[in-house]
Amino acid sequence: MTLSVALGPDTQEGTRTGTEASTDSLTAPDIPWNLVIWNDPVNLMSYVSYVFQSYFGFSESKANKLMMEVHKKGRSIVAHGSKEQVERHAVAMHGFGLWATVEKATGGQGGSGKTGGSGQGKGKRG
Amino acid sequence: MAKAFKYGLKGITGFLEPAERELLRSLIHDVISMLQPEERTHQDPLAAMIGLDMDVQEPTDRAVRRLLPNVMKNDDGASLEFRQLTERSLRETKIGALRAAALDLDKDEILLTPEGARHWSMALNDVRLVLAERLDIRDEEDAEHVHLMQDWSQAEDVESYLALVYNFATWLQESLVQAMLQSLDTRA
Repeated sequence: MTLSVALGPDTQEGTRTGTEASTDSLTAPDIPWNLVIWNDPVNLMSYVSYVFQSYFGFSESKANKLMMEVHKKGRSIVAHGSKEQVERHAVAMHGFGLWATVEKATGGQGGSGKTGGSGQGKGKRG
Repeated sequence: MAKAFKYGLKGITGFLEPAERELLRSLIHDVISMLQPEERTHQDPLAAMIGLDMDVQEPTDRAVRRLLPNVMKNDDGASLEFRQLTERSLRETKIGALRAAALDLDKDEILLTPEGARHWSMALNDVRLVLAERLDIRDEEDAEHVHLMQDWSQAEDVESYLALVYNFATWLQESLVQAMLQSLDTRA
């Protein structure tokens, strides 16, 4: 990603509304598909964070944490869900111009970076 | 000179000179023309109506492939199947955002609703993705190298001109996204 100016401190934990986040109702810890966002040298760090906040309804701090993970580790899992759910997210991410793929959570796709789930993909309702 | 986008009482506002608007308009139209789906003579009209495209292939142009990436990293078959179901509507989403941004370029004062701002950020991002492919930006080092080109008097060839245009689009998108993040903060 391309460096942009520093973002402000996190004061807005979990208060934004993700209009399209659709994984709210999922509670099972090991739903078998992941949405992966990959690093690229073009997308602005601020833009990636904006997309995470506005689409998934993530707090600023969570969005920035995931964005930094994409930037530093090359990829980050930002949501879990059924295949259909993560595919719908992937199309939305492609709409925004982010490089997103879906993968089976235990599929051993061999990508770099972590495979554990730091982002539960739960859009918080504000 | 363009003014950075700002978030204020009226919403998100920006200002562009006529030459800058002309430049952006032509960039946007280039991207739209890359995204226009191919007309197929033998297409099933029902399939077309619900957005299916059973004849779709992975794009050969790198820039188009970046705009419409495979949904699976290591499964071209499944990715192609997914394309058949989704690529047409993704193209339409992107073209819709690009057209909306192009319409706003008819005035030099730009005033954006939240939805308009989202369309603009998507359009500028797609323009930058295409320019980045043309400039061969493959990693952060390439990006930094391009970023060093800031002086229009240095524009000697196509590549340096493209680099300057890319940097202008980057600056504009960054200012827009900062204004959008501010508007999220205010709403929260």
